[in-house]
Amino acid sequence: MRALFLAIVLGMTLSAYDAAHLKKAMEEKECIGCDLRGANLSKSDFSGGDFHGSDLSGADLRESVFEMSDFNDCNLSKANAEGALFWKGTMMRCDLTHIHARKANFKGTHLEKSNLSFADFRGTKSWKANFTDAILFKTDFTDAELGDSKFIRNDLRSSKMKHTLLWQTHFSDTLLNKAQCTHAKKEEAILDANVTCR
Amino acid sequence: MKYMVLMWIIVGSLWGGVIQNDDQFKTAIASMGTENKLVLMIYTTDDCPECAYMKTKVFHDKTVEPYMSQNFVVIEKNVHKSKLPDGYDFFGIPTMFFIDKAGNKKETMVGSKRAQSFVVELRRIRGMK
Repeated sequence: MRALFLAIVLGMTLSAYDAAHLKKAMEEKECIGCDLRGANLSKSDFSGGDFHGSDLSGADLRESVFEMSDFNDCNLSKANAEGALFWKGTMMRCDLTHIHARKANFKGTHLEKSNLSFADFRGTKSWKANFTDAILFKTDFTDAELGDSKFIRNDLRSSKMKHTLLWQTHFSDTLLNKAQCTHAKKEEAILDANVTCR
Repeated sequence: MKYMVLMWIIVGSLWGGVIQNDDQFKTAIASMGTENKLVLMIYTTDDCPECAYMKTKVFHDKTVEPYMSQNFVVIEKNVHKSKLPDGYDFFGIPTMFFIDKAGNKKETMVGSKRAQSFVVELRRIRGMK
């Protein structure tokens, strides 16, 4: 019983956001270095917003618009971003592990040096996104559109890429498994000489 | 005064850029002759890989091209270079508008699609009353 109580309290502590930070984020579309863990930011327009350095782990971002928003150095692990729009935003050096981003839009988004391990990117529209130096361990790109995106210095071998659109997608200095290589070539992706297929 | 207002409305409708007065639309309608096709007006920009994908791959896919040429006339407008008709605002690029001969907007589609799902959409839109 005591253990259960402790677990509940601990869970609440981990997901509790700072109410003042949430108010600032909602009103000003700007909250730098804020505590927004588990906060509800869904179905709102935050275009041009600045959240860099904030902790948004477990936050609800569903169907919100973050066009050209700054999420650099944020923690978005386990956040729910299904159907959200991150057009032309920056999400560099982010913790995106276990993020639920199904059918979200990352068109032109900078994801360099972010950790997308176990991220759910199924059905995302990620045209022209930049994944340079991102960690993509078991990232699920099933049905995602990654046309004209950049993958430089990545290891994609554990990622799921079934039915992924890879038209004019650039792969450089990257590790792919054989099935991914075959699929990428069929999709007219651009693989340079430094791509390893094994 | 009433006459002035009426004149202003008439001039406004002639110069306000409605789709019926758009040169590309008029040419598309003329090219149809008696055939009952729809106009597919696609909004693009130069720096839009999705637009390039639709135009170079999907529109020419073997499952799409025959159906498209039979049922649609495509016109393209670069949103940075062309004058856009009133009532055809866009949120994302590419945006595709499906318009009947009379100038009625039947459907709007935003973003790219794979050939297979695109042709399904084309058939659905073609079948719309």
